[in-house]
Amino acid sequence: MGGLPMTISGNTKWLGFSLAAFLVSLVLLPWAGPAPVSLERVLSLQPPDYPIFLELRLSRTLLGLLVGGSLSLAGALFQAMLRDSLATPYTLGVSSGASLGAILSITAGLPSMMGLPAVWLGALGGAAAVLALVAGVSSQQGQLSSYRLLLTGISLNGVCSAMILMIHSVAREHRSISITQWLLGNIDSIRYPALGGFAAVAVPVSWILISRARQWNLLMVGEAWAATRGVDPSALMRTGFLGGSLLTATAIALSGPIGFVGLIVPHLVRSRISPDYRLLMPCSFLLGGVLLAVADAIGRVVLAPAELPAGAIMALLGGPYLVWLVRRRF
Amino acid sequence: MEGRSLSGSLQARDLTFSLHGRAILRAVSLAASPGEFIGLLGVNGAGKSTLLDILAGLRAPDSGTVMLDEMPLDSIPARQRARWISHLPQGIRGDLPFSVEQIVLMGRYPHAGAWMETRDDLAAVGGALELTDCLAFRHRRFSTLSGGERQRVLLAACLAQRAKVLLMDEPSTYLDLRHQILCFELLRAEAARGAVCVAVTHDLNLALSHCTRIVVLHDGQVEHDMPTGEAWRHPTWFLRFSERLRVERSWDGAPWVAYR
Repeated sequence: MGGLPMTISGNTKWLGFSLAAFLVSLVLLPWAGPAPVSLERVLSLQPPDYPIFLELRLSRTLLGLLVGGSLSLAGALFQAMLRDSLATPYTLGVSSGASLGAILSITAGLPSMMGLPAVWLGALGGAAAVLALVAGVSSQQGQLSSYRLLLTGISLNGVCSAMILMIHSVAREHRSISITQWLLGNIDSIRYPALGGFAAVAVPVSWILISRARQWNLLMVGEAWAATRGVDPSALMRTGFLGGSLLTATAIALSGPIGFVGLIVPHLVRSRISPDYRLLMPCSFLLGGVLLAVADAIGRVVLAPAELPAGAIMALLGGPYLVWLVRRRF
Repeated sequence: MEGRSLSGSLQARDLTFSLHGRAILRAVSLAASPGEFIGLLGVNGAGKSTLLDILAGLRAPDSGTVMLDEMPLDSIPARQRARWISHLPQGIRGDLPFSVEQIVLMGRYPHAGAWMETRDDLAAVGGALELTDCLAFRHRRFSTLSGGERQRVLLAACLAQRAKVLLMDEPSTYLDLRHQILCFELLRAEAARGAVCVAVTHDLNLALSHCTRIVVLHDGQVEHDMPTGEAWRHPTWFLRFSERLRVERSWDGAPWVAYR
């Protein structure tokens, strides 16, 4: 840094480090799993190793990287928008709406539509319904206020959770197990067209959000501060609300509400790398992806052939970290 | 509009503003030309901050207009407006994770490209840090600073913006005496260089010794608007603040507002 004020260029090594960690995870993690896969057989496209590697392990690693990245980015975003360091991608009710939709479709035993599992559609529908409700209630003359967003989101979270509990308690036993599994959140192998669809949403939305990094810096200080430095806060809030919700809703639809990654990764990056959103956002995306993909790899190795859900591993890793952070910082 | 330079004259005409049915401003008019440093005085709740917010474009008046160099303020795009007008808010949240330099760099947002600061931006930041006596803690986290240090950092961010109009809401709050004087000297120097400065303050001596003009707002109206020299000669407007105020002479013969 020297005598010049800190600039992003002084810290780009962290961006390189995060990108390297992301790529290394992508290359190495697919090899972890209950059944050994031989490199030689994969390279010569021989079954069963090649299909296991390609269809199961690689798609699953990619999903973990993308879901973890999307949730971490959304968490960092909502922490700036709501000016609340404990905000997560789920604070605004998206996750409980998605959960309620998914659970309704599990309980009703809906069939898949257009080749997509009913749970995904239910989750997306539920998320959209809650978002529309939150946006409608908390906007005043086209302006989204962070205070109202926060309170409305938390209230709707409560309502949806209550409904989930009620449905869960009257559901039949085998459905109850799938409900619990869904609520824990898990990364599973996924077919490539679905993964491509998710990436087609997550990548451009992330790009748009990251490209406004300096504006999130200003918004984090305050709306008036941002406005008198040349940002239109209401347009920015709308972009952030829509973009962050899209990321969260699509990620949850595929993996269930995986907790903690959207809270701890932005905090980790903020305290270890930089609070500047120009670094915070891309590093959160890359490292969030790594963390979830690693949690998933751990989950499928430690008790093999049984699998531990990535959501549970994440909570086990994330809980103690959060306690440590709270003890240190507050 | 992008490239044009600004003389920086600010004109507010007949501003009215009410909030929750309560009239905050009633037909306030105020014109300020480059080189002027206006001390905006008034008791609590007189409407000073609201007037400053409207001049900064943060709030829209119910009626009346604000013109900057003959341009209606609301017709100027936000980014362009921020290159011309800088606003110091009455305190911001103190628990920000940003470093001092990162906060001051934010003042360069309207100037810099979309992603990176240029050498000019860094020079402006360094200069503002030096002027406000913040160099010693430029790398520290904002949240670890004292109240007065934070206030100086915010002032530095406004100076780094290099605007022609500086609207400062109680810029000397929390500052120790030395830095209160430094703050008003800085603003006077900005005005001398052709800026328009408006500072809300409760310190009559600072205002009278540094400002070129005194505007007293009371109950949403401009009650007095006079050059500083006249304000000394006809000190009846003091009574608005306290009946215990008197003009005395300090040891070097200069007038001094004292209370007994």
